[in-house]
Amino acid sequence: MSKEAKSSSLIQIDGLTKVFFTDEVETHALSGIHLSIARGEYLAMSGPSGCGKSTLLSILGLLDTPSGGQYNLNGLPVANLTFAERSRIRNQEIGFIFQSFNLIGDLTVFENVELPLTYRSGMAASERKDRVARALDRVGMAHRTRHYPAQLSGGQQQRVAVARALAGSPSILLADEPTGNLDSKNGEAVMTLLAELHAEGSTICMVTHDVRFAAHAQRQVHLFDGKIVAEGELQQLLAELEQPPVRIAR
Amino acid sequence: MESALKDLRYAFRQLLRSPGFALTAILTLALGIGANTAIFSLLDQALLRTLPVRDPGSLVVLEDTGRSWKGSMSDHGGDQAAYFSYPMYKDLRDKNQALDGLLATSPTNLGFLRNGSSKLVSAEVVTGNYFTVLGVGPALGRVLTQADDLQKNGSPVAVLSYDFWKNFLGADPGVVGSNVSINGQPFQIVGVAAQGFHSAIWGENPNVFVPMCMVPTVLPSVDDRLTARFNRWLNIVGRLKPGHSRAQAEASIDPLWHALRAEELKSLGTVSPRFTKDFLGSRMRLLPGARGFSYQRENFQKPLLAVMGMSLLVLIIASVNVASLLLVRSASRGREFSLRFALGAEASRVAQQLLIEGLLIGVAGGAVGMLFAPLAIRALVSRLAGDQTSVAFTTEIDLRLLAFNFGIALGVSVLFSLAPILQLRKPDLTLALRQQSGTSTGGMLRLRRVVVCLQIGLSVVLLVAAGLFARTMQQLRAVDVGFNTAHLATFHIDATLAGYKNEQIPAIYQRVIEMLAALPGTQGVAATNDAELAGTSGGGSVEVTGYVAPPDTSIIIEAEGVNTGYFAALQVPLLTGRLFTDGDTVGHPLVAVVNESFAKTFCGGVQTCVGKISDAPIPDVSNNRVKVEIVGVVRDAKHLGVRDPVKPTLFAPLRQYTVPSDIYLYVRTTGDPAQELTVIRKAMHQLDPALALDNLRTMDTQIDDNLQNDRMIALLAIAFGALATLLAGVGLYGVLAYSIAQRTREIGLRIALGSSRLAVVRLVLTELMRLAALGIVIAIPLAFGLSKLVQSQLFGVSAADPSILLSVTALISLVALVAALIPARRAASVQPIIALRTE
Repeated sequence: MSKEAKSSSLIQIDGLTKVFFTDEVETHALSGIHLSIARGEYLAMSGPSGCGKSTLLSILGLLDTPSGGQYNLNGLPVANLTFAERSRIRNQEIGFIFQSFNLIGDLTVFENVELPLTYRSGMAASERKDRVARALDRVGMAHRTRHYPAQLSGGQQQRVAVARALAGSPSILLADEPTGNLDSKNGEAVMTLLAELHAEGSTICMVTHDVRFAAHAQRQVHLFDGKIVAEGELQQLLAELEQPPVRIAR
Repeated sequence: MESALKDLRYAFRQLLRSPGFALTAILTLALGIGANTAIFSLLDQALLRTLPVRDPGSLVVLEDTGRSWKGSMSDHGGDQAAYFSYPMYKDLRDKNQALDGLLATSPTNLGFLRNGSSKLVSAEVVTGNYFTVLGVGPALGRVLTQADDLQKNGSPVAVLSYDFWKNFLGADPGVVGSNVSINGQPFQIVGVAAQGFHSAIWGENPNVFVPMCMVPTVLPSVDDRLTARFNRWLNIVGRLKPGHSRAQAEASIDPLWHALRAEELKSLGTVSPRFTKDFLGSRMRLLPGARGFSYQRENFQKPLLAVMGMSLLVLIIASVNVASLLLVRSASRGREFSLRFALGAEASRVAQQLLIEGLLIGVAGGAVGMLFAPLAIRALVSRLAGDQTSVAFTTEIDLRLLAFNFGIALGVSVLFSLAPILQLRKPDLTLALRQQSGTSTGGMLRLRRVVVCLQIGLSVVLLVAAGLFARTMQQLRAVDVGFNTAHLATFHIDATLAGYKNEQIPAIYQRVIEMLAALPGTQGVAATNDAELAGTSGGGSVEVTGYVAPPDTSIIIEAEGVNTGYFAALQVPLLTGRLFTDGDTVGHPLVAVVNESFAKTFCGGVQTCVGKISDAPIPDVSNNRVKVEIVGVVRDAKHLGVRDPVKPTLFAPLRQYTVPSDIYLYVRTTGDPAQELTVIRKAMHQLDPALALDNLRTMDTQIDDNLQNDRMIALLAIAFGALATLLAGVGLYGVLAYSIAQRTREIGLRIALGSSRLAVVRLVLTELMRLAALGIVIAIPLAFGLSKLVQSQLFGVSAADPSILLSVTALISLVALVAALIPARRAASVQPIIALRTE
């Protein structure tokens, strides 16, 4: 990667490692990961179960800390921040979309989307309401603001989760198997939504098992045993892996 | 602020969506707070609160240390050493240099007639300086002064209590200067005492205060009280001089006391050397008087402390229960908190939300507790008061106490609401957000188990207490009091209050007895001047021919005046000699019947007692002690109360009493005595409507009243025990239910691998039994230790009664099993395919 590319990167990771210690056993979940994600890029990460893709996504989302290596977000080193500093950056820079939606059952659709904004100090209530309304409108859920999650279908819940991720205008959307709990029709709808968001300028990093959904991304990264073993556009990647264009792993 | 409001709204919504949790937590806190506030309010009134007078800290209660005395005693409870004669009071008041002032007082009942409306009222006969020494002023008019107490029968004036003036006279401002009739004599109301002041005697609630000089009018049957040196009936309260300590005052008053005792001894005639030594060796003690002298405090003190201890345990259990509920609930919300952190919430922000949720539960629990506390205290005071018109306790709630308990409720709910913060101190957000259920660390589960063990243990302690007090009550009810208490109706009359003259009284009492005996359904009628099993006693010292008291032996006996048919009506068997006859009247040789204890103590045995002469504490018209011949010995029967031991007792015929008094009547009925009450009231009304019947009730009711402290403590102990057990059951259920939910996958796997459903149930029950056994094992020695503290309150049961310990263990085990039923059933019905699919 060129120096110019590095400087325009939103995320820059060099030599990242993650080791889990369980009793006397060391598990190397990630080993020497080098990865760069540019602004406006749509990246898909895939790999077999246990390859480390979700661990990597957690570190990217500052939900976890690396054991070693460098991680710069927006040009700032974020690998060794305090819990409070990471909370603030998560709130302002990162939007999460989870496989199991993770909406709070006791909050309405509106309140769920508003939740991350309430953790942001100094934002006027009017602006917050405006952002929530726009985010819900963007995902086509403006008519369900007073509903509770249990009153929505899985597809609708995931759209609300996308709205929650969008509402804070984050630098990057991190999606962890966003279609994993959806049927194919709803899964396609969510992928279409992400594609549209990307087209509008959002930076997206998505973990997925499904090659069909990975195909929506500009660039794919394949992990195996905690290392990036292939990187590029889908066809190129598949060629490198010499695997048929179906599911990579399940 | 806005975020706080949002959190508050969310907290409300959460409580509404979990009504079972909310209701349990709030009611648990409310019960703990309400019960504690009510009990502690009573404790505060009985043991802690000072009199509402000027500088209560400088008040002292006078008490002498001597055990030997001669004469008669009219006490109303409390230590007999705190009763003095009026001449002794006057000597102490006029000759002492140690005290700023010295007042004397005695309670009584008076017939009060105003504007044609009559009423039996509680009253206090007080010295003229009563209000001055206490520093209590008038709310209206003036209070009594020394000028009102100079000349015998010279000042027919009265002061009303504020409560009586307000509640019974409608706060009539024209009452000052108005004329009333007291015991048939004209009196003028000169004022109303200050609001909030009741009496120098704690627990007394007199309606009317009359000056001491009016004793011959208001207490006509005991005309000698202002002159008799051997009639002890007054309580004395003094005020220390500024800057003087009690020790200094005692030292200063000592020479005077000894001089007065030496003077008094001269008038006693021949006495034994031991008597002389003890009489002259006594000292005057000045006890702290800030809380006033009390006739009842000692009776209430131990039961109240015991109940307070139980109530505190309930509050602890309630707190532990709420803590347990909050911990279980917080564990199930681990994922929610992880999500909030993931979305950028800082720890302080999540803490704020938890704090508000805790505050909401605490405030709601406290608010319901505030509603519950007044109801509880009213019920308790009503129980304590029984039929008594003068109530020692008020139903007012001490707001400081309420605030304190409210604070505890808030503290507990907030503290344990914040538990997830500890749990999520180093959260594994990745794992939490991926799991289908909430996160819970082993440490939190251990904490919840500790909490349940604590609940079971405390419940065991309370159940043991409940068992001991219930058994005590059962034993008390089964006590043989020495006479047949069944089929007895009883009431009290005082002919002086109906306007009878002293010389008319024996005749009217005789007519009453004869009329009652003639009623259909009456088997016999007993009359006495000292009520049976009512907590009152009269008597004094005694000397029996041929008896020399060994050192440290009490020569104080009970003395009772009774009618001829007394023993037959109460069915007290005669052991030797004879009972009274119609010939035992004034003008005939004075005779007495004694009980077995008297005979054994003073005569060397039952068979050697008849024919002995006793110097009895029964005054004649000249206030001289009389010599009586013992003519019979009857079986021991309890007099003071069911709990109290039988004292040596001397019975004299009422018809030989030259000084009449009020009497208590016992009508033995053939049928249900409750049915006869109306008949008796009607018959008495026909005889003389002016003769007011006081406390007309069955003997069983009177015994119940006598046992009211025991009944109250047993009732509360059982209630607290039941409440604690219920709370422990709820806590146990919560932890087991949560534990099963956490282990759904494990249980599913066990079943998939071939475990039977019975084995799963066994798995759950093993956990339960481990918790219950641990709680019980820790609690039993604790319960045993605590029971020893209340040993004096127990009756006929040991603090380590094995049957109670076994019953409690069985009961708590049963409760634990019931609490485990639903979780065990749920565990056994886990479908492995569903449980494992969530992996």
